Amino acid sequence: MTNMGRLIARPYRASRIGWTALCVWLRYKIPAWWDLLLRRDPKARDLSAVHQKNADHIFDTAVSLRGMLVKMCQIIGTRSDIFPREFVATLSKCHDRLPPREFDVIKQVIEEDFGADLDSVYSEFEPTPTAAASLAQVHRARLLSGERVAVKVQYPDIEHIMHTDFATSRRIAVIYSRFDDNPMDFLPLLDELQKHLRMELDFRREVESADRIREFFVDDPSVHVPKIVRQHSTRRVITMEFVDGVKVNDPAALAAAGIDTKNLMTRLMSIFNRMILAYGFFHADPHPGNIFVNPSESGKPVFTLLDFGLAKELPDGFGMGLFELMFSMMTFNESAMLRAFKELGFKTQDDDNDETLLLIAKRMMSRSDTGTFQGEFTEEMTDEMFDAIRENPVVKVPTDFVLVARAFSLLSGIGHALGQRANALDAMGPAPA
Amino acid sequence: MAEIAVTSSQLEFTFDEIMTEDAYDEPLIAGGVRCHGGYTNGEYVSPRGAVRRPAIGNWQTRLAQAGEPLIAVPEKYVPPNYPSYPQAKFLLQEGIVEPVTRSLTIISIVEGFGARIREVEVPDFASEIEESVEGTALAHLTNGLFEAHARDEAGHRDQGGHKQMWEAARDVGLDKPEIPNDVLLRLMSGPGRGERKRLFPALSETMEGMITMMANVLIIETFAEGTFDWAQELLGDPEISADAERAAHIVNCVARDEVPHVDYLTVALSELRSRTLRSADGKQAFTGAEVIDTIFRQQLRGMATQRPRQNRERMREEIRGCIDDTKRASAIARTFEDLDTGWTFPHTDDEELDILLQPA
Ligand SMILES: Nc1ncnc2c1ncn2[C@@H]1O[C@H](COP(=O)(O)OP(=O)(O)OP(=O)(O)O)[C@@H](O)[C@H]1O
Ligand SMILES: [Fe+2]
Ligand SMILES: [Fe+2]
Repeated sequence: MTNMGRLIARPYRASRIGWTALCVWLRYKIPAWWDLLLRRDPKARDLSAVHQKNADHIFDTAVSLRGMLVKMCQIIGTRSDIFPREFVATLSKCHDRLPPREFDVIKQVIEEDFGADLDSVYSEFEPTPTAAASLAQVHRARLLSGERVAVKVQYPDIEHIMHTDFATSRRIAVIYSRFDDNPMDFLPLLDELQKHLRMELDFRREVESADRIREFFVDDPSVHVPKIVRQHSTRRVITMEFVDGVKVNDPAALAAAGIDTKNLMTRLMSIFNRMILAYGFFHADPHPGNIFVNPSESGKPVFTLLDFGLAKELPDGFGMGLFELMFSMMTFNESAMLRAFKELGFKTQDDDNDETLLLIAKRMMSRSDTGTFQGEFTEEMTDEMFDAIRENPVVKVPTDFVLVARAFSLLSGIGHALGQRANALDAMGPAPA
Repeated sequence: MAEIAVTSSQLEFTFDEIMTEDAYDEPLIAGGVRCHGGYTNGEYVSPRGAVRRPAIGNWQTRLAQAGEPLIAVPEKYVPPNYPSYPQAKFLLQEGIVEPVTRSLTIISIVEGFGARIREVEVPDFASEIEESVEGTALAHLTNGLFEAHARDEAGHRDQGGHKQMWEAARDVGLDKPEIPNDVLLRLMSGPGRGERKRLFPALSETMEGMITMMANVLIIETFAEGTFDWAQELLGDPEISADAERAAHIVNCVARDEVPHVDYLTVALSELRSRTLRSADGKQAFTGAEVIDTIFRQQLRGMATQRPRQNRERMREEIRGCIDDTKRASAIARTFEDLDTGWTFPHTDDEELDILLQPA
């Protein structure tokens, strides 16, 4: 069987996934059985080496099988509220650092979707992609008009692969829950995943999201969203304006490009504040690869936002709830914090668990430089918050909050690289001129 | 709580002393939320005032005895609230609640952000001011005055501050109106914060920044007096308020709490006026009066001309935005504009603003 054929063959995929799952499960269970046998306290065991081994194993399998596994890993890589640190760190590599697929395969997708030859749409097409991720890779190209474009192309068999993997994973999850007396409930996570995937697989949705967010900022020259060439975009292909620019977390390159970096983070935070707090629809994946910067005529930064695959609608009142949470944390106002947590959709098993919510907030604040919350969800604070939530499974965290907290902590990471604060409260006023 | 006696000659206080509360008979509960301050013999008493209040009085007295004038915004420069009381009442009576709710909500949030005063950086007075600052309000800015101010505005721990009190006044007076979902957007859009041009580049950035910030806050706090009068009239009007007496009372409590803010900022800026400021490199000297008067006048002129204009433009948009029927919208807008006070800043660009209050 060819390598490619094997990759999409159902029995092969199912057995690799099953084998990986079994190894992972045993690595946790065998030491626990030992502990039981030797009457040792299983809680005393340090699991970080086992976590790391398991995470590496899953990552390797994901890289060779692609598809749903990569997607699942990407999600694990963002859910530090559920998974151990080692998993999150290792599996977040699935976000953009994957080896690409051959050009022939990519070309075929484009020609199938367009019902025309590649040459009849593009006058040039670079066979080596500039980036490759779970669902797609991006190539530089040129339209017949000469316009430079970026073409994001979905892997051909991805839908089929996703479907197979989904069925397999579901079966494994069910078997696993029968074997384990104290099973972790993967099924809701799988369902959530499938919902997301169905949305992401249709690139027309990503195009809609990009258009919607571009519209928010029509009057704001400091935000740019690449224009989409609609007539050359399909369910699996997006042709868009090619954007050059400096990566937002590279101070030397920003300086070399003549970009005025004063207040750069405040400007960037103000853009995300407007999406998250005001419009309730946001780009939920602001990692440095997705934000380019260029100088305006006066040298002020112009931000280009890329990749709207993970754009998310927030429920009504979410922005106000989040603002109230930040504000009450700033003033140590516990009753207001509780109100805000509930407004945001946090749930506890019973009302006595209010204390747990407060504890989470306090632990978070204890990880800031000043011991108080001043408006920045630093990476440390976000880690601490998720650690606390993991240790207190009585608390249910709304997915929207996880996505927003993750977005803020990604922004904080960018701020860190620039030596500036990613302070959401500071950026609440009108943006700096 | 122990009674703290402040003698009329005491000029130095610790941080904890400045924070000291009066002994209240009962706390202030506004709209079901525990707020700061409380009642003594049935009278509302502002928070953190047991020592702060007499302390500010002592610094004021000392300044007056030295024959120094006070910096102040005369009443003629204070823009009336926009929309005016008759305008807002008209809207409410027409069933158009949203613009007033939005306005009150934005006031509450902006008040809350008043807490940012605690982050104002203060220069090293010993090296940047020629004379001593011992026994002044200036010397207490970072030793309790800014922090007390911040807590008054945003609340602290289990006590709400002005943010929560404005929310309560809104909810009590307008019977828990629905909050428009564009409040935060309003706050974040609008004209950008212009980059501040340095007026005295020889001074340290921290010194000029601090003076500008304090002048700015003092002007806002003085302008707020127009807003308090407006809100007390409007929310205190039984024809439109769900609980006129209570709503007006809550606004009145906020208004009283602002008095020490205006007072300490006035004293501290006036103390600085009477001193000599050194440039960052130590080679030049400026009289405090020249620096402060210039910065203060510039801030005042900017705010008194821009704000009324921006408010008018926005309100027009909002009225049209919340009425679907265009014919009705134009009719309402017409009546609304007929009720406009037409106030504009009473000075041309080159006239010098009078901003000094000579000692009695
Ligand atoms: N319009 C563009 N112009 C220039 N470069 C682009 C453009 N769009 C994407 N890129 C580059 O390609 C990379 C990957 O694109 P993108 O982020 O859209 O896909 P992805 O996130 O890797 O895929 P997925 O989210 O489906 O896993 C970006 O990080 C960026 O470097
Ligand atoms: Fe206030
Ligand atoms: Fe105030």
